[in-house]
Amino acid sequence: MFQSREELEKKLAEYHYLIDRDVATVVYLAVKLQKPLLVEGPAGVGKTELAKALAAVTNSRLIRLQCYEGLDEAKALYEWNYQKQLLCLHLKQNQSKSWHEAKDDIFTREFLLRRPLLDALESTEPVVLLIDEVDKSDEEFESFLLEILSDYQITIPELGTIKAKRVPLTVLTSNNFRDFGDALKRRCVHLYLDYPTFERELEIIRLKVPGIDQLLSQQLVSFVQVLRKQDIKKPPSIAETIDWARSLLTLCVSRIDADIVQSTLSILLKYQSDIDKILPRVSSLLPDD
Amino acid sequence: MLEERILEFARLLRKGGVNVSVTQVTAAIQAAAAVGLAQEDFYIALLSTLVVDQIDQPLFDKLFRLYFFSLEPGVIQKNINYEEQDTEQLTVGMQLVDSIEGIGTGRGAGASPYLLLVKAVRETNYPLLRRLGEMGVESLGELEQEAVAEIDKLVDQAKVAIGWYQAVNTLEKIRVQEKVSEIRYSKWLECLSFLEKYMESLLEDLLVKKFGYDAIEEIALAANIKEKEFYRLDQLEIQEIRKQITKMARKLASRYARRYRRAKHGKIDLRRTIKNAMINGGTPVRLKYRKRVISKPELILLCDVSGSVALFSEFMLQLVYTIQNRFSHIRSFLFVNTVDEVTEYFKNNSIEEALEKAFAKARYAMSPFSDYGRVFRQFEKEYLPTFSPQSTLIILGDARNNYRHDEKDSLQRIGEQVRRILWFNPQPRDEWNTEDSIIGIYAPYCRQIFECRNLKQLEEVTEAIL
Repeated sequence: MFQSREELEKKLAEYHYLIDRDVATVVYLAVKLQKPLLVEGPAGVGKTELAKALAAVTNSRLIRLQCYEGLDEAKALYEWNYQKQLLCLHLKQNQSKSWHEAKDDIFTREFLLRRPLLDALESTEPVVLLIDEVDKSDEEFESFLLEILSDYQITIPELGTIKAKRVPLTVLTSNNFRDFGDALKRRCVHLYLDYPTFERELEIIRLKVPGIDQLLSQQLVSFVQVLRKQDIKKPPSIAETIDWARSLLTLCVSRIDADIVQSTLSILLKYQSDIDKILPRVSSLLPDD
Repeated sequence: MLEERILEFARLLRKGGVNVSVTQVTAAIQAAAAVGLAQEDFYIALLSTLVVDQIDQPLFDKLFRLYFFSLEPGVIQKNINYEEQDTEQLTVGMQLVDSIEGIGTGRGAGASPYLLLVKAVRETNYPLLRRLGEMGVESLGELEQEAVAEIDKLVDQAKVAIGWYQAVNTLEKIRVQEKVSEIRYSKWLECLSFLEKYMESLLEDLLVKKFGYDAIEEIALAANIKEKEFYRLDQLEIQEIRKQITKMARKLASRYARRYRRAKHGKIDLRRTIKNAMINGGTPVRLKYRKRVISKPELILLCDVSGSVALFSEFMLQLVYTIQNRFSHIRSFLFVNTVDEVTEYFKNNSIEEALEKAFAKARYAMSPFSDYGRVFRQFEKEYLPTFSPQSTLIILGDARNNYRHDEKDSLQRIGEQVRRILWFNPQPRDEWNTEDSIIGIYAPYCRQIFECRNLKQLEEVTEAIL
């Protein structure tokens, strides 16, 4: 898929997804060792975006499975299409057939509803399988993922074992909402995505918000970086920095000062308690020069 | 060769309390082969395969540095550019230090390193900070093998040697006088913590170079806070344990959920059964059951907060209140020689705030010596009538009664009122019933007594109450 890490880095950059060398190494490893990539980190650092970018640069189809509490095999893997089976039986009622024939008829692939996981395994074209927010699923579902992620196969009692036609590039994301089992973690290559460094974030802002003033972008990024170190409930994510940069551009602001920040703080901070905490301290948090 | 090194490294990680499976080691070896041995790539290859939990990363970093840089420097290819750049910056700082050192020794009085430290911090001059760190460590002289066990102490000595505390004082003064902004002040703090870490790592490095694998092994063992006894923890480790407890609580909570979700029998849920029957053309093939209402235990915590036991009580309170939705009701009491209820503090505060307030405001001590007998009597008289017979009473303490009256009858009557009494004792088992410990006298009235000296045991006893 990729010959080297440099190639991966370059291709992702062309797609406007900038990553550090370390991150690129981990992603490259996951691809090379054909192991699932588990991405952890705070909300809004681009975990899901990474999977999307990977799909785009490898010309693969992105199959996304959003996890939530109560997600089960029927919704993630496959389900028999009962209604269709019933219809079929109704039609066949008059042709007296033995049980064996009838059974074979209704438990074939025709009556199988493919859910994302099966879809990813059976696909003949290259796919990127994104299992989003694994930590939100139940424990049972997690153990059930084990077979798929370690052997890339699933067993359907009526049909037998289905092996992957080609190993999908699998990305799992987690917000650490719940601590999930070590068994699943051990099968993956780990990537911890943190908030970007000052330079990296500056680059991202300039890429995503073209036309922004040099100095303004520096000021606003350094303010956001300071803000993240404060003790608040939800530190601003990259997406929020971009939003803020866009708003400042729209407002034709050329330099940030305490007034501007105070009036636009709600773009960066989403909790009222955070805003209340930061608002009186804005001027002391602004960059020195 | 490389495989062996990685295996040995994995063993070290395990000694430090990081769980590493064989699959992970295999993956690490494959990963190292895939990216090569350049310093950064090799590091990432091992990190992404061996470390499953973010919490373990600091230890991984430390052991990686000690093992692959100090002990086995031949394995990886170092990044040369990085080092060169470093030395260039350093020379400027070194000249400065040398000149001041000259003055210091020459004239007897005058410039002391603490002024230099203040200067380095104010300018956030990292090369100079490094040089100062080296000075501090050099001042310690020859290191003995025993030193491995007391790295913290040595770091402190090194700090004194470069005038750390004076410097911190001066910086505080400057901060007030010059109205230093929060950003700059936080940079200063970063400098100081950098210097502290730097000295620690220098020391470790020296020790490992001198005493080899044994030294690393000991460092790894010392870092295993899960099995470190509570009274031996330092401030940083206490922070770390607090984080671990929050994590452990989440784990305990979800494990509990799994165990009970399976057992769904009893009342039939008619609405869902009929709805489900539509799939089979109206025949209810599978019955659906109502969700079972889980009876949650009621908990009463009676915590000794005298001296050495206080920290353990604090951990236990934090743990129990983090998973408080697993209990129908929790009441908590603190005591030394008199007992006070602190349940209220936990109602509308975050756990940290609640703990702080409870310890500051509750009236639990008239003298610093614990008196179990007196406490049990008071507890029986004032609070016992308000407990339901369903509740579990947990006593946290070492049962060291300072040779006072034991009042075991009181405890017996308490035991008859509640469902059970559990006792968690943070003292090592072989010290029980020695000196003034009278745990043996109270034992007959308790359902069970647990030894609870470290994080690992804390986890085990918590499972016992769920």
